[in-house]
Formats: sequence, C-alpha cells, structure tokens
Amino acid sequence: MNNNTKLIKTAAYIVFIIFLFLIPIFTAQGYFMHVLIIIGINIILASSLRLITCTGQFSLAHVGIMAIGGYLSALLATKLNLPFWITFPIAGIAAALLGLIIGYPFVRVKKVYFAMLTLFTSEVIRNVIIEFKDLTGGATGLMHIPPPNPIVFLGLINIDFTSKVSYYYLVLITLLITLIFLYRIEVTRTGAMFRAIQQGDSIPESIGINTTNYKVLALVIGFFFAGIAGSLSAHYYTVLSPSSFTILQSVYILVYVIVGGRKSFSGAILGAFILTVIPEIFRTFKEYQPIIFVAILFLIIFFQPQGLYGLCAKAGSYISRIWKRRVAHA
Amino acid sequence: MLEITKLSKHFGGLMAVRDLDISVNRGDITGLIGPNGAGKTTVFNLITGFIKPSKGNIVFEKSTITGLSPHIVSKSGIVRTFQDESFLSDLTVMQNIIVAQYLHPKTGFLEALFNSTGYRRKETYALRRALEILEFLGLEYFKNELAQNLPHGYQRLLGIAIALSANPKLLLLDEPLAGMNASEVKQALELIRKIRASGTTILIIEHNMTAVMQLCEHIVVLNFGQKIAEGSPEEVSKNSEVIEAYLGVKKNVAQIK
Repeated sequence: MNNNTKLIKTAAYIVFIIFLFLIPIFTAQGYFMHVLIIIGINIILASSLRLITCTGQFSLAHVGIMAIGGYLSALLATKLNLPFWITFPIAGIAAALLGLIIGYPFVRVKKVYFAMLTLFTSEVIRNVIIEFKDLTGGATGLMHIPPPNPIVFLGLINIDFTSKVSYYYLVLITLLITLIFLYRIEVTRTGAMFRAIQQGDSIPESIGINTTNYKVLALVIGFFFAGIAGSLSAHYYTVLSPSSFTILQSVYILVYVIVGGRKSFSGAILGAFILTVIPEIFRTFKEYQPIIFVAILFLIIFFQPQGLYGLCAKAGSYISRIWKRRVAHA
Repeated sequence: MLEITKLSKHFGGLMAVRDLDISVNRGDITGLIGPNGAGKTTVFNLITGFIKPSKGNIVFEKSTITGLSPHIVSKSGIVRTFQDESFLSDLTVMQNIIVAQYLHPKTGFLEALFNSTGYRRKETYALRRALEILEFLGLEYFKNELAQNLPHGYQRLLGIAIALSANPKLLLLDEPLAGMNASEVKQALELIRKIRASGTTILIIEHNMTAVMQLCEHIVVLNFGQKIAEGSPEEVSKNSEVIEAYLGVKKNVAQIK
C-alpha cells in the first residue's frame, strides 16, 4: 500500500516534469514563455530563501545577493568576454562565499536583529552598485549583457539562447537541479538539524551540534542559489539596473515563502508560482501590486497560517474523505 | 571523573557560585541539592559551557574543559538535560532521537546530499539505535507522535532519551522528577538506576528528597552558591547546617517570650 502510493507519486512527478519539457511544443508564444521563465527564477529565489528561514533566520538580503550574482556575471561577460557557462557558476560561488564571510558575524544575532542586519546589507550592496559608476553604470545600469553562448556539439547540435524557448529550457533545468538539491537537504539529517536549531540553540548545543556552523551552512546554500538566480535573470533581460533590487523585492520573496507556507517544501514553490501569476493577470493594475500583495498576505496570516500549501492539504484530505465515503457506499 | 575546583561565577555584584569544589566519581549517582536559588542550575550551566565561569577549573577525564563551547563539551562526553522544554516540540519522538545521534555515527553533509551507501548504512544504524533507546526508556509506543503532544511524564523521559542518544559518559539531569506523580517517580527512579547500570555516571539536581536519598551514593548541598555539606545521604541528612538551610534556624522559644 505504502509502496504503491510512493510509486504513483513518483510517476506523477515524472509525468509532470515531462509535461513541463513539452510545454513549448504546444505553445511557444513569447509572452507565455516569458511568464514561465520569471516563475522559474522566482521559485529558485523563494525555495532558497525558505532554506534559510528553516534555521529560524529571516533574511531580507536575498535581492541584494541576487544583485551581486547578476552584476558579477554580467560584468565578467561584458568586460572580460567570459562565456556564460563560466560566469554562471562563478555568480553562485561568489554569493556563497559572501554568505560564508558575513555569516559568522551575522548569525550571532537573532530574529529581528538578524532581519535588520540583512536588510541593511541588501541596501548597502545596492548603494555600492549605484556609486561605482565606472564599473556598474551607476543608476542607469548595465546594458548589452550577452545571452548565454550557444552550445555547439560536433556541428550536429546547435542551441543558441536568443530565443525564449531555449532560455525556458535553461531555467527549467536549473530549477529542477536546484529543487532536487534543496529537497535532498530537506529530507536528510541536515534538514532535521535545521528544524532542531529553529527551536532554539540550547538543546542542539547540548548534544554536540555546532549550531553556528549549521546556520552559516544554510546561509551559504541559500546565497548560492540567489546568486545563480541573479545570473539567470541578468542574462535573460540583458539589462541590469539597481532599481530592480530594492528592499521591496526582498520583502516580496519573503512574502512568496510565507503565503505559500513556510513549513513545507512545496509551500515556497506554490507561493512563488501564484504570486507571480496574479500580478501578470492583473497587469493593468501594476501600480497596485504592493496593495494586492499585502491583502493576500493579511488573508493568509489571519485565516490560513499554514499558507496556501496548508489550504491545499486541507482540501486534499477533504476530497479524499468524500471519495472514501462514496466508495464505501457503492 | 569530573573535578571542579574553586569554581566561581558572579553576575555583576551577585555571587551565584562561590569557590565551589565538587568531584564526581565514575559510576556513581551524585546528587546536587539545595534550596531554590542556591545556584544548582548555574553549576550545570558552568560545567556544560552555557555560561563561562569567572574563576576556577573544571577537569573532565584529565582534560580541562573550563569555558569551552557547549557543543565541544558535549563531544567530550558530558551531556545535560534541561529543566523546562528539554525536547524539540515540532519533531516526532523518533526524529528527536535521530537528530540527537548527530555525533554517533557522524554523517557529513555531502554524503547525506548524495545519499551514498555509507550514509544509508549509517542511517539504518541510527534508526536501529534510536529504537533501542526508545525501548530502553519505554517510549516506543509514542515514536511517531509529535513531541509536544506527549503526556508530561513522557516528555521528561524524552528529554533524558535525547541526552542518552548523544552517548554521554557523564549525564547531568536537571530536576528530572519535577511535576511527576508518585508512580511516575517510581518508574523514573528505576530508569535512572538502569542508566547507571549501563555504565553512565550521573550527576542529578532534584528537589524530591526521598528520591534523592534513595538514589544517590554521594550528595553535595549548596546554599547561596556555596557548598555547605557533602557526604553520604545519612551524613547529609544529619548535618545541622543542611537542616538549617532547608527548615530555617531554630529560634530559642524562651528568648521570644
């Protein structure tokens, strides 16, 4: 029974992933692909931020880290003519290194103080970008960032990334690797360690766990994927400007996580998906986006603290109950 | 096994612990008693590194552990329980124990990530040992229950179970019997004896005097951060200073009149 449901679940996931790969065959319309790419990048951001919140730390630096990844990758590509396939991992590694450096002093403070520190870090990064005009283009930003270099294989396969469809595949594959990586952490002992640390340092410390190291580890992994997402979005838009890395953006990512449901792995994915789709549907009301987000956030916090994932789980159990009753009657 | 010499801790002007000498012998159950506010839990915090001592020395198995971080102290084999909230309430009982086996066997982050055969072998081992510990403490019935939903007596046991899964050589129990009823106390006492029989030395803080007198070979009495008496249960219970500390000074009835 248990084995069977597991099999069905795995099969469902595989079918869904195949479906994701087949989407461009049904419709390769530019706008549709664009929305899917944005969703993918946002899911990477939200899931990696959720990992950091798993240790009880609310980081508001995610967009700042994303900016570092984006700018670094773009500068290496434009100034040094390095191919995307080198700058892309470098963006992630640089962001992770930053996490390692600021992690040890930062995790000494907790809760609100940690949130404040990361918030200011994000703002400092943005201001540094604005001030270093010669390198970063200042407030106007960077332009003409090359798209990823085409993959040529023996002259047979030639994939270039100027089209939205091929970029969609790039994002999709990166997203899948990210999610598999984060999911492994979630289900193994490291994830349990994170959840233990979230409830306070004293018990984990008393049984020999170095809580500082684990908190920094969460930060490093989270920052790595934020840097990766930054690089992905920089080479997608081909322009970068500091105005897209404001505090509000950091708060949005946190809202994705909370609205989706912080306690479950799928929560962040669901939150990022829905809160990216809703503003796209109501595109005409773009200036009201913060208000819409706040309204959704309030509704969730007051009526469904477990987030959208909790809502889905409730609905799921309700349906299965009714289904079982039907089967029993028949 | 554990030698504490001239240990002092002051918080500002308040002397919480003053020139304290305690020695714990291997295989004993040593009691640490005293009125409320005598500094017993502070002593635990000092030994396990949660507070850094102002002065003094703590030597465990011939190596100095004074002022080390808690996670390093517990690696050397001293594991404590807590008076309140001694477990991870959001995890199940089983997960609590598995997390607590963090060091034994030690698993790396990368091998966990890639699900290597070594990691899986260690996981099965951890699972088996967790079951053993739960059986040992009579908690296996609750293994898939969230820790916060357990009855109070079992929550205290879970606190001990977590400490035990870290393979302690010296176990520090901070009021393990608090809030238990008579039958639970009886069970818990049996259990503590069983833990000692399995080769773990125990240092225990407890207010339940009958239990302490039954359990301990050696008792240290604290009052206002200082040791006022030490010895076997009989010696301590006859000591006039101890009686004074617990019951107050006898007033001369004639004088009052």
